[in-house]
Amino acid sequence: MSQVAESSHAPTSTGIDHKKLIMWLFLASDCMFFGTLISTHLLYRKLYPTGFTDAEGHQRFIQNLFNIELTSFSTFILLMSSFLMALAVSAMHKGQIKSFRRNILGVIFFGLIFLGCQVYEFTHFLHQGLTIQNSVFGSTFYVLTGTHGTHVAIGVLWLIILYFYSFTGKLVGHMGALDVEIAGLYWHFVDIVWIIIFTAVYLVEYLGPTGFWGTGLPLTK
Amino acid sequence: MSHDTHHAPVASKLELAPERSDLGLIRPDRSTGWADWLTTVDHKKIGIMYGAFAMLFFLLGGVEALAIRTQLSRPDNDFVTARMYNQLFTMHGTTMIFLGVMPLSAAFFNFLVPLQIGARDVAFPRLNAFSLWTFVAGALVLNSSWLFEFGHLSGWFNNFDWYKSLVYTDFAPANGWFSYAPLSGTFGQANAALQAPRFTGVGTDFWIIGLQILGVASLAASFNFICTIINMRAKGMTMMRLPVFTWMTLVTSILIILAFPAITVALIELMFDRQFGANFFNPSAGGQPILWQHLFWIFGHPEVYILVLPAMGIVSEVLPTFSGKSLFGYPIIVFSGAVIGFLGFAVWSHHMFTTGLGAVPTAAFALLTMAIAVPTGVKIFNWLGTLWGGRIRFTPPMVLSLGFIWMFMCGGFSGVMHSAAPADAQQQDSYFVIAHFHYVLLGGVLLGLMSGLYFWFPKIFGRMPNAPIAYIASGLVILGFNLAFGPMHYLGLAGQPRRTHTYHAGNGWETWNYVATIGAFILGIGIFLAFANLVWTAFKGKKCSPDPWDGRTLEWSLPSPVPEYNFARSPIIATRDAYNEDKYGEKKIGYENDGGEAGIHMPSQSWMPLVAGFGFLMIGIGMPLIAMGVPHAGWVVISGLGVMFLGILLWALEGPGGYMLKTPTPSSPAPVTANTSSY
Repeated sequence: MSQVAESSHAPTSTGIDHKKLIMWLFLASDCMFFGTLISTHLLYRKLYPTGFTDAEGHQRFIQNLFNIELTSFSTFILLMSSFLMALAVSAMHKGQIKSFRRNILGVIFFGLIFLGCQVYEFTHFLHQGLTIQNSVFGSTFYVLTGTHGTHVAIGVLWLIILYFYSFTGKLVGHMGALDVEIAGLYWHFVDIVWIIIFTAVYLVEYLGPTGFWGTGLPLTK
Repeated sequence: MSHDTHHAPVASKLELAPERSDLGLIRPDRSTGWADWLTTVDHKKIGIMYGAFAMLFFLLGGVEALAIRTQLSRPDNDFVTARMYNQLFTMHGTTMIFLGVMPLSAAFFNFLVPLQIGARDVAFPRLNAFSLWTFVAGALVLNSSWLFEFGHLSGWFNNFDWYKSLVYTDFAPANGWFSYAPLSGTFGQANAALQAPRFTGVGTDFWIIGLQILGVASLAASFNFICTIINMRAKGMTMMRLPVFTWMTLVTSILIILAFPAITVALIELMFDRQFGANFFNPSAGGQPILWQHLFWIFGHPEVYILVLPAMGIVSEVLPTFSGKSLFGYPIIVFSGAVIGFLGFAVWSHHMFTTGLGAVPTAAFALLTMAIAVPTGVKIFNWLGTLWGGRIRFTPPMVLSLGFIWMFMCGGFSGVMHSAAPADAQQQDSYFVIAHFHYVLLGGVLLGLMSGLYFWFPKIFGRMPNAPIAYIASGLVILGFNLAFGPMHYLGLAGQPRRTHTYHAGNGWETWNYVATIGAFILGIGIFLAFANLVWTAFKGKKCSPDPWDGRTLEWSLPSPVPEYNFARSPIIATRDAYNEDKYGEKKIGYENDGGEAGIHMPSQSWMPLVAGFGFLMIGIGMPLIAMGVPHAGWVVISGLGVMFLGILLWALEGPGGYMLKTPTPSSPAPVTANTSSY
């Protein structure tokens, strides 16, 4: 996707490159996109605070479902991938293509770990009886986190293409650095969205004695 | 940046040696004829194609409208069945909004924005072609539902197992253009195939995926236009010197990128409900259908301004030209346009006054809705101020623009009536609402767009539309329109409900329904005549000078038809209404010879946007096929996804390319021909 856009030779009116500007515009739009999805989840969480009913008809609490240690780990991994992404962008700006490749491989690896955790989490939740069909919670949870996972997957694909593209010798100079920087913008954005999802979907379930929504499982010391 | 041009500047792209993309494939740069149109990245050609498709779908939506009016012409009519009637009004609304007005606006964005800001193309030419082909794919998906409906009525599917198991057989969308849940959604428990029982047939699935694809097209185009307007202005073209049409394009594009995500998510959720058994709007599993209404109108109300702001921009260009004055209160017009766009996000719940929001939200949304009348009124007064004391020439575009002001104001008045929640409770779902939004969208938007067509057609094709036919068509449109929709105010207040396929005699509705139908046919003839006149002009019209109207903005300084590079030398702007000042004032347009010896850089053409669009078409047809239960339909979707990704990947890897055209020797400036005495 790095070469999707043609850039004109003429300096732009604002001094910002077209590609960078259009990526910021896309991210503005994507803010509204995730905002709508997260709102849907939170609205239904407020409306139905007691969790969900599994296939056997048992009432289930969200805290029993979530594996907060695992999700914290994958969140940490995604944060660190953003750190590596920043290093990759910096390396490109300095023209250090080998350092760029090393760091971008790290980002790809961490992104894949995150996706692996999500696949494991989805499978685990399915075994626990949470499906997209049996509750509103299942619908909003899977669609929201699944959409985010799709964003990460597209990002990983993009970075893999950039990695191999760098061997053609065309990913050089100011424009090459710009292409990487734009991929970085996307990656950081997806990371920030996950911080919000991790807070609003996962962490709040553990807030206060019975979770933020008030009717969760009482936490034991 | 580096580009792969290894040749000396050429006078025409046909002289190019075969050039290969980064992938080693020969670029379609030298193509002519249909291959040239399919692979073009020229904003002018893309604009013309947008316009042609939009006019085609306008006529299709018009035929659907006439079928509706024929059915309602007399009580207890059986011209169409109730089921067919539902499909007709749903497709009429969807077609007119998404396949008629929006692409016709996009046609103007494409053709005019680069010319008005003094640029050689949009910021992302191939992305622009992608927007066009994705729009075409979405339009074909939506309308292919009619083919399935036709096959169903003709009994083609009778021997198929998947057909026998269908419960509902409305193959075209039948929920109304807003597809309210739960009617559009599901109820009860999902079965083993992950599908819950539904209230409506696969038409809804066509609607969901069709709109989703159209959303991709609109979003891509809007990113492109914001980028173009902010970043590609000629030297001296400051934001407050932009022509008002370009300003309204900017506001509209910002509305699109912020409003469309809401419907995108709503459509994803509805699609998951229908095709994967999710419960977002499924009432029996705890889903809240009211959420659909909120999400839809958070998009739907800005959408109203997405439709009307471009027409307001057009009128703001036409009125000064034919009044011989600059636009009265330019900054106020621009600012009020932006305020309309901003407030447009804060009024969605006025579509939901009767859902029981509670007193405080209802009052708040009523007040905000009334507040929108202020910037709108400001615009109307500024337009009147532009006319005041002007030397008015009643050309066809001027007649249509004046019609816009008049009709749009009528629609605005009934809109203010709706904003009062208690009154709205009476008017909700009645023909009064139909009258209101047709005055705004047809009397307003369509007249504005037609005005734009007649105004800029001489620039687009270098040919002048036939004036007598244009006057007759404008008269028929305005007369027929008022005859068709004026009586609906009365019918609505007399209680005739919307979306009902017939009514009994004795309610006092017979006469005015009959009158409305006559008006609708006059309107139909008028629009057909106006469009036919334009199509004839494009091929056979009388040639005219590059500046037949004595225009005020940059595009009139160019030859007609506009050459592919737009500006041989980039203009340097010193004032608002730059070309008018250049002709009559002190501040001339400067030119910089930015091409020089190296020539003018032209972007390379590409097949890839078309390939990606074709992938969307396969996805769009495949998803409803899955919902129908057609075997192996999933493979159509998967291969469609593959084609789309392949198209985008090859597009990315082929490189931007580009070639150099010889800088043409500056010809003598276009002769100033203020002579429009034929009008």
